[in-house]
Amino acid sequence: MLAITIGREIFAQLTMNGIFRGASYGLIGAGFALILGVTGRFHFAYGFTYTLAAYLAYTFHFRGTPFGPFSDGFPFIVSGILAILFTIVVGVAIEKYIYRPIAQGAGATALLAVFVAALGIGIAGQSTIALLWSQQSQGFYDKDQIVKKSAWHIWKVTFENLDVFQFVTSLTLIVIFSVVLTKTSLGRQMKATRVNPDLATIIGINANRIYLVCFGIGSGFVAVSAIWYGLQYTVNPDMGARPVTTAFVVAFLAGTASSPIRIFMTGIVLSLLEQWSSMFIQTRWTQTLVFVVLFVYLINKSAKDTLWGKRIISIVTLQGIRG
Amino acid sequence: MQIWINYLDQILIYASLALSLNLLLGYAGQVSVAHAAFGAVGGYTLGYLVTAHNVPMIYCILIGFVFAFVAGGLIALVAMRLSTEYLILLTLAWGYVLIGVFSTIPALGGSFGIISINAKPHLLSFFGWSMQRPTDWLVPILVLVAVTYSICWRLGESPFGRILKGVREDPVATQSLGKNTFRTQILVFAVSSGLAAVAGVFYSGWLGVSTPGVFGFTFSLTIFALVIFGGMANFSGSMLGALVLTSLDPFLRRVVKFDQSKAFLVQVIIYGLLLVFLTRVRPQGLIPEGSTLGSILRRKRSEGRTEMGKASETAPTFAVREAVAEVSQVDRHARWEKAEVVLEARGISKSFGGIIAAENLDFVLKRGTITALVGPNGAGKTTVFNLLTGAIAPDTGTVTLLGRDVTGRTLDSSARSGLVRSFQDVRLFQRLSCLDNVLLGVQDQPGEKIRSLFANPRLVTVKEKETHEQAMKWLSFVGMQDFADVPTASLSYGQTKLVSLARVLATEAEVLLLDEPASGIDVKWVDNMLELVLAISAEGRTVCIVEHNLRVVRDLADHSYFMELGRITAEGTVDELTSSPRLAQAYFGTV
Amino acid sequence: MSVLLETHDLQAGYGRKQVVFDLNMKVNSGEIVAIFGHNGSGKSTSMRSILGVLPPLGGTVTYDGQDTTNNSSGTNVRGGMALIPSERFVFQDLSVTDNLLLGGANDPDEARRKARQQLVYELFPILKEREEQLAGTMSGGQQRMVSLGIALMSNPKLLILDEPSLGLAPSVVEQIFGVVRDLVASEGLSVILLEQNVGQALKIADRGYVMRSGRIIIEETIEQMKARDSFWDFF
Repeated sequence: MLAITIGREIFAQLTMNGIFRGASYGLIGAGFALILGVTGRFHFAYGFTYTLAAYLAYTFHFRGTPFGPFSDGFPFIVSGILAILFTIVVGVAIEKYIYRPIAQGAGATALLAVFVAALGIGIAGQSTIALLWSQQSQGFYDKDQIVKKSAWHIWKVTFENLDVFQFVTSLTLIVIFSVVLTKTSLGRQMKATRVNPDLATIIGINANRIYLVCFGIGSGFVAVSAIWYGLQYTVNPDMGARPVTTAFVVAFLAGTASSPIRIFMTGIVLSLLEQWSSMFIQTRWTQTLVFVVLFVYLINKSAKDTLWGKRIISIVTLQGIRG
Repeated sequence: MQIWINYLDQILIYASLALSLNLLLGYAGQVSVAHAAFGAVGGYTLGYLVTAHNVPMIYCILIGFVFAFVAGGLIALVAMRLSTEYLILLTLAWGYVLIGVFSTIPALGGSFGIISINAKPHLLSFFGWSMQRPTDWLVPILVLVAVTYSICWRLGESPFGRILKGVREDPVATQSLGKNTFRTQILVFAVSSGLAAVAGVFYSGWLGVSTPGVFGFTFSLTIFALVIFGGMANFSGSMLGALVLTSLDPFLRRVVKFDQSKAFLVQVIIYGLLLVFLTRVRPQGLIPEGSTLGSILRRKRSEGRTEMGKASETAPTFAVREAVAEVSQVDRHARWEKAEVVLEARGISKSFGGIIAAENLDFVLKRGTITALVGPNGAGKTTVFNLLTGAIAPDTGTVTLLGRDVTGRTLDSSARSGLVRSFQDVRLFQRLSCLDNVLLGVQDQPGEKIRSLFANPRLVTVKEKETHEQAMKWLSFVGMQDFADVPTASLSYGQTKLVSLARVLATEAEVLLLDEPASGIDVKWVDNMLELVLAISAEGRTVCIVEHNLRVVRDLADHSYFMELGRITAEGTVDELTSSPRLAQAYFGTV
Repeated sequence: MSVLLETHDLQAGYGRKQVVFDLNMKVNSGEIVAIFGHNGSGKSTSMRSILGVLPPLGGTVTYDGQDTTNNSSGTNVRGGMALIPSERFVFQDLSVTDNLLLGGANDPDEARRKARQQLVYELFPILKEREEQLAGTMSGGQQRMVSLGIALMSNPKLLILDEPSLGLAPSVVEQIFGVVRDLVASEGLSVILLEQNVGQALKIADRGYVMRSGRIIIEETIEQMKARDSFWDFF
């Protein structure tokens, strides 16, 4: 099926799609990597916060308040900002009121306990959204026409203005995040907590506060991605599943200790693989490709430990992301 | 009436899925979110073979089981050395891949799946009992649950099940007792997946369809919730959990009068909130591990727990052995000189990158004696234990145990060869009782092999009784017999050290490597520990200890090796070592 | 001489495991106090309890006139306590500069932070040379210097050093101990030194304690300790 007849146009189109999609994967992946790397929580409810953000933006814009000056809906930009803020609050609250008390009570089985709780929040949250809003997809667009969809062309390649906006915001957030990590005291403290949590506490870093900040940042990233997705495609209760699961894969492939730029690039590479593979295999298989890549990675990782370093089993610590 | 039987059918199928997941998750601690995907293997096997090839259901069951068994084993192989986050991700990905593959292969009906299984009811029959109507399914499904329960119960509540729990609590400690955790993990994944597939066959047969929607991720999460809710490592809990939670949907629809989709959503919301609530308030689930419904209703607590507060203060009672007389160091050393060599290490070296951890180590351990490794911090004493037991493979050198070469064997293999270690940080199996901990130390239990469990049950029962007696003997030796049923998480630190000693003693290994046996326990208890170690060597075992407390070493050791920076630089009695000015300098620097 | 730190019947441990029993010790201003004892005798656990990383199980801690028994480590670090652990004492994946800046994170005064960083570079010029190098790639001795730098950045009044000489060549140990002694003289720092290397510790300490199995068994002045003919009793 690999034929010379596959034109350069198709390749260019796929590449364009890949880069735009990948920016979103990268941003969400960076948020998840931050949370998992620093706090050690497998924040499975991440997908719920994604979906929630889109629905909040939609509702603020189309429904607004029950009465008063905004009963027809808040202005578009305001809706977006409100949605992002609310989502951040929800994400932080999940850590503070659910994950933290559970982890403190669970001791050695903390990872499993937090995962189960995250699972619970995720499925309950998603179903609540479906219950409150309906299972149907909602069409989300800007009533104020500030952000209006339009198609652009560059040399036979089609994309939307929204694609570009999404890419730019994702990249900007990644760059800002990168700068925060490397140049600010807060960023250093986050890295320190990830690299050596014991020493971090010894020098007086408040781990709990750092955890909350990480959840705030991660939730903010996911909210931004979700709003763009909602504008471009649709808002429905299941929308969080695929993007967030792909983000998990991105975070694990890149490694939670990677720099945000590197995670961003991993997201783009993965997305490009996904797009380009449709030239060789049928589209319906490309969906699964992401997971095949993950499989190959995990098999290699496992084999490395078994064949090449078989005996280096540390009795003191087990291997894993948090080292 | 029909409707209620239908609900019962569904509850029972869910229950059988919960049972097989509980074996994997509750007993073995493997966090898998792909259980429904393995069910799909069974369901699709039935769907395809029935509609396309007219294969009777009974063969589909076997074929589905085999496929899932192999797939499960492969997953376990990949997941072997990866920590929990990776396993979650792996099973998550596996579920998506499997369902993705099923929903794209045209022969499997694509995204619609196979929907005409009911068109061939004659194939859906067992030995003449044909399942035409929903009520016909009740008896076969009851058989399914009974068989699944029996298999899971036989595996979980047996010596094999003890290893599963050991893997759940601390795989390395389990290995150090001579158990092949590698093989066990693969087996439990394989069996659990195979059983899920069998349930999947029944599910698709009963529904009449096998589609991606039926076996999707939400289904995996539902079964997961059932297991957590019902109680981890408790099969009756899973049955009860299935009954209660699966009844929610009909309850919501018929009593509260929600419509179908609303009832489904509310049900999922309740599941989710329940999971959060449970992990916060009652993580062990409805019926905790080791309990029965009856004991819960009677609010009976395990004996000894309320008395724990007082009990942990008193020293244990144990038989004092008068063979341990006050023998002088000189006499002890003379005895050491004459004793038979049991373990010999020659030329052992190991370096990591540029750092030399061990250099050309030569030493012997002799029968009926206690040898000590002493030296300042960072000298490499614990590294020696690691090198001997195979946690790290030496670069050069040999280790010989009673003439046999045991160099570089894996941790569990070394233990089976007769070389067992204890850990400085104890590493007991927290949620298991003292007796269960010690039981895991006993070697050659036929019940640890699946084949024996099912082919030779009488032998297993007889040997299990012997194993219990042995374990109690060692528990009594260290004076902890009254705490046999107490979970070790409730013990004081000193008590855990005693149980840990009993555990390695139960292996009846020739050579015992004790890593800081007396460290971290209060002065009052140290003497107890010393007496025990002396008694062990008096019985003829070969003991080697690493200790930083020189008082302890002086009281115990017949012979000591002094280590510095990875090399043995002196040996003799403790008094000889401490009277050497050069050694004093190595230990505390120039004064 | 005023008392800077004093513990009264301090009990410490991890969950069910009590490791330190009835600890009564004190440190005066400008003093170097050495604590000896075998591995597992409870030295590190006591210090962690005093610092606040490990909540005490009983007893009290008085520091600089205040009851600091239940303070968090953050509060105590801002109050002038600093601890350098015996292992994993740097942030290995971060640069030297980042490590030092982290030490100063609790100090809101920018000018003072810059001054401290200067001081650290003067004491250990090699750290200035290798500012951007990842701490984990440096030699053991250099990492020790970084760890000392991190502690000094927080402007400490009480410096707690856990086995600073572990794994280091004698010359490096001398250098580091020399720096410590000079800092005590020039800045009025007080030091608690947990050591196995009795020889080096006795050269700079004023008083000494010996712990065994969680309790203090010996409390002497340095002269009394030096007068002993062997130190095997310390272990």
